[in-house]
Amino acid sequence: MAIEEVFSSKGRVKILRILSEIGELNISEIARRAGLNYATTNQHLILLEKHKLIRHKTFGRIRIFRYNEENPRAILIRQLIENWE
Amino acid sequence: MVRYSSVFKDESKLDINYVPQHLLHRKMQLNLLTQFFRFAVENPGRMTQRALILGNIGTGKTVLSQRFGLNITKEAQERKINLNYVHINCRECRGSLFIIIQRTIMKFIPNFPRRGYSAEELLQALMQILDDRGAYLILALDELESLIQNEGSDPLYNLSRIQEDRIDSPKRLSLICILRQPEHLEGLDPSTRSTLQRNIIRLEDYSEAQLEEILDTRVNLAFNEGTVSTQTLMQIAELGKTEKGNARYSIELLWRAGKYADASELREVTPECVRNAVASVYPVVRKDTLPELSLHQKLFLLGVARHFKQNDSSYVSMGEAEEEYSLVCEEYNEKTRGHTQLWKYVKLLSAAGIIDTLVSGVGQQGKTTLIGLPRVPAIDLEQELVNILSREGRTT
Repeated sequence: MAIEEVFSSKGRVKILRILSEIGELNISEIARRAGLNYATTNQHLILLEKHKLIRHKTFGRIRIFRYNEENPRAILIRQLIENWE
Repeated sequence: MVRYSSVFKDESKLDINYVPQHLLHRKMQLNLLTQFFRFAVENPGRMTQRALILGNIGTGKTVLSQRFGLNITKEAQERKINLNYVHINCRECRGSLFIIIQRTIMKFIPNFPRRGYSAEELLQALMQILDDRGAYLILALDELESLIQNEGSDPLYNLSRIQEDRIDSPKRLSLICILRQPEHLEGLDPSTRSTLQRNIIRLEDYSEAQLEEILDTRVNLAFNEGTVSTQTLMQIAELGKTEKGNARYSIELLWRAGKYADASELREVTPECVRNAVASVYPVVRKDTLPELSLHQKLFLLGVARHFKQNDSSYVSMGEAEEEYSLVCEEYNEKTRGHTQLWKYVKLLSAAGIIDTLVSGVGQQGKTTLIGLPRVPAIDLEQELVNILSREGRTT
């Protein structure tokens, strides 16, 4: 994924910021905190996960998304977010 | 300028949630509990365990379990084992398995969704979370009677069965059940009861001498030197003994007596401070019990207290209690709850030991539940409830 693909979407940046701060959340809570609807949030999450910036685990019917602490790009993005704020 | 001085040096040592490093007169029971769960640090995942701690109010059940939890998780950490001890009070969870499992899961994933799943689904999710993190859990269910009264045998059966269904997987969930009255176990089905009764730790009531020793240790930790005399200490221990060796009550008395000493600007906690404290604290109206009740539970209890304030009877029928409750609701501008809901409140308040219940017999038409208030003067209970409601911003 090109860098502009991540940062060109306000929604994706919001999701990355939320997950990098909180760590783990389910989709409804991510959508609520980001002020997005469920379907849009889901699309962003699929894309971010495809590029290994986030991961998810399923517990029964519950999907919990977490920031991928092991991905070097994800680590750099977190640093950027922290320094920005 | 007035210089503020206090008899306390660290009153947190008298807090209800304080867990002492060493438990006086409970060493043997602590060793026994550690032996039951030895496998958790030596061979984690190979087996699972269930233990039962029984004892009256203030005999150290909770603190014993919590001290054990702190010790064993520390040892596990040193051995690099991901062992977790989670202590849940079933009464605070309104006797609901759903809330109990939810609170347990939130120790692992703090933002886990709060709604939309059944208790069984959550239990499965808990096991998956433990698997995912390679974690082991000792779940302590305090005031278990509340869960049994509310949901019967099923929750404990499910908590036990969840391991049996996972034959090839590591065993991750062990249980410590803590309860006051063993009679509540009779409400369980025979197989659940027998698995629970395998490892029982019974805590006897503290003697006066034991209470004195416990209080002496707490005085040294919490008070400035020379502020609590031996006479005062013995007086509190004696009062604790009359409450069936209730250490929690004795410690709260000690704290309140200290507060009266501070309020009177005394340099020492005098017997008069203790007498004032006695008048203000009843074992069942502990500072942690009443505020935790829901609004309508408080209003219902207030109705019951008012009935006994005005009538010289030992019991009030459910119907009469409901009428009193309606009047209280009117006073506080609240819509009344239905009979079934009130019946649930009665069961819960009874499990918490605040009220007593019995079924009417000869001399009463039909069959109704009778409610008694044996442990606290109605006038004091009413005052305490009114104060709490007012602190919560509920006015008439």
